Amino acid sequence: MIIPYLTALTTYFSYGLLFAFGQLRDFFRKSVDWWSASTLQGYAPICLGLEDFYIRRLYLRIQDCFNRPISSPPDAWFDVVERVSNDNNKTLKRTTKVNRCLNLGSYNYLGFAAADEYCTPRVIECLKKYTPSTCSTRVDGGTTILHAEMEECVANFVGKPAAIVFGMGYVTNSAILPVLIGKGGLIISDSLNHNSIVNGARGSGATVRVFQHNTPSHLESVLREQIADGQPRTHRPWKKIIVVVEGIYSMEGELCKLPEIVSICKKYKAFVYLDEAHSIGAVGKSGRGVCELLGVDTADVDIMMGTFTKSFGSSGGYIAGSKELIQYLKYTCPTHLYATSISAPAAQQIISSIKVVLGEDGSSRGAQKLARIRENSNFFRSELQKMGFEVLGDNDSPVMPIMLYNPAKIPAFSRECLKRNVAVVTVAFPATPLLLARARICISASHSREDLLKALEVIGTVGDMVGVKYFPAEPNKQQVEVGQVKKVD
Amino acid sequence: MANLYVRAAPTTDLNRNTEWFTYPGVWSTYILILFFSWLMVLSIFACSPGMAWTVVHLSHFFVTYQFFHWKKGTPFAEDQGIYNRLTWWEQIDSGKQLTRNRKFLTVVPIVLYLIASHTTDYQHPMLFFNTLAVFVLVVAKFPHMHKVRIFGINADQ
Repeated sequence: MIIPYLTALTTYFSYGLLFAFGQLRDFFRKSVDWWSASTLQGYAPICLGLEDFYIRRLYLRIQDCFNRPISSPPDAWFDVVERVSNDNNKTLKRTTKVNRCLNLGSYNYLGFAAADEYCTPRVIECLKKYTPSTCSTRVDGGTTILHAEMEECVANFVGKPAAIVFGMGYVTNSAILPVLIGKGGLIISDSLNHNSIVNGARGSGATVRVFQHNTPSHLESVLREQIADGQPRTHRPWKKIIVVVEGIYSMEGELCKLPEIVSICKKYKAFVYLDEAHSIGAVGKSGRGVCELLGVDTADVDIMMGTFTKSFGSSGGYIAGSKELIQYLKYTCPTHLYATSISAPAAQQIISSIKVVLGEDGSSRGAQKLARIRENSNFFRSELQKMGFEVLGDNDSPVMPIMLYNPAKIPAFSRECLKRNVAVVTVAFPATPLLLARARICISASHSREDLLKALEVIGTVGDMVGVKYFPAEPNKQQVEVGQVKKVD
Repeated sequence: MANLYVRAAPTTDLNRNTEWFTYPGVWSTYILILFFSWLMVLSIFACSPGMAWTVVHLSHFFVTYQFFHWKKGTPFAEDQGIYNRLTWWEQIDSGKQLTRNRKFLTVVPIVLYLIASHTTDYQHPMLFFNTLAVFVLVVAKFPHMHKVRIFGINADQ
């Protein structure tokens, strides 16, 4: 990532100023509160004074840019509910007015978020036949015929012998990692892995080490150092080593360097856990994810995880692996044994959307969607880069973050875009590093060319107003020719 | 100046409270803030340059002691309190001692002390306070003082 030096200095200074003002306000609040009596004498405070500083003094100031409620399905255009605040953003109240906005924030990669002509009738029929909830865990009474069909469908789609599906994507990571590895094991995870993986790793009790984002050479040096050292105090050899990487990193839009990482793991006999939450269904020639895109054999990746919330328009997560692994998980994973199984209409949506993607519904809509998302992403990214924005991410990736850096530009960008009926998602500290605040754009197959052109126009105007075009814009071809015609005598 | 670009290498520090210190531009920002605060003190109080440097040095002492060596924990709750017993100084660079960042942060109060005492001609009341400030700050930053709480000051219950 390349930052202009002046922007780095001003960003640090802005955060320092915000921090200083926050501390000043806290100081006055504490002095004022010291005089007022408290009814809870002798009770411990709910938050230690410092813990919620970021939320109270920085996040609440620009609260209207996050958590915006919507009142329609998150298709290419959707309704955003307007909110007003009477006390400077400390509390927000919903009004009854809605804005029809262009949706650049939903993970709607293949366009299944809105009603689909093949999937929705089947889902409604399933809802009438099986009711919304199974009201039971998988082992008790919650496995319907749909669940078995869905797991087989997913396993075939991903290219592994067997799969197991859970009702929630976050829980898939945080509940499976403790089952697979425990004390005496080693988890090596990428430094930019999602919070669900971090939580699962911390909950497992294994030792966790981090390697520099997407740098296979650093992964190799960490592996060598850890294998030579052994377990922390006893120096015995590790019981097992799992390397956790993601297919597409949702905050960077980058693809993982999977071939190199898989070859290093094979060399040192570590297991590979691939989290394809954003890449399954969105990249690859037939939508099968990063393995297909980068040419890695799925037999080399030991555990493949993914979610259905992004490309398939449903909910839930899956783990795909060998038959023995899935059988073991069915006996031990707490989510399978104690949590309610995924609801039947959601399962039907997964089955139908996979059938559409593979073309088994009898039309070529799946292939069209895949081609359209690839075309849309590449077009949008190249146009943004031509305008002079700093856009991250590899080609073919539908996630493109636009770097903002300064904390004041985050609400400015978000509010100005909303005024022009384009809804973008801005992400700041602590989800991203302090300096590197960004606006993340997710392109969908349901965006038409006119939608993209409107988005480009709005983002271009707002970018000029806010000052985020950090790179020089490429001049148009016509201007260059006119300039060359001038002669000097 | 606007065309100078730097590359931000990704870090492996998982602690969001301290990883911002590993990116480029922090040291320059720190030095520039000190310089501009000296200019502001000079313009507001209209005192001699030496007094202004003494004021900057002593307020730098109070601010950095409070935020580096007194306040413990992190300003957000997502890390579930694993750093609640560590001050910011003990958290940076994941507790490794004698890294470049720590050496820089130890040198800054010493340089400020030299400038402040030189520009006040080593006169008495200022020299005493300046020396006390720099002594406390530098001793707090020694590697041997990692996680040490003298006489139980600032220890947890």
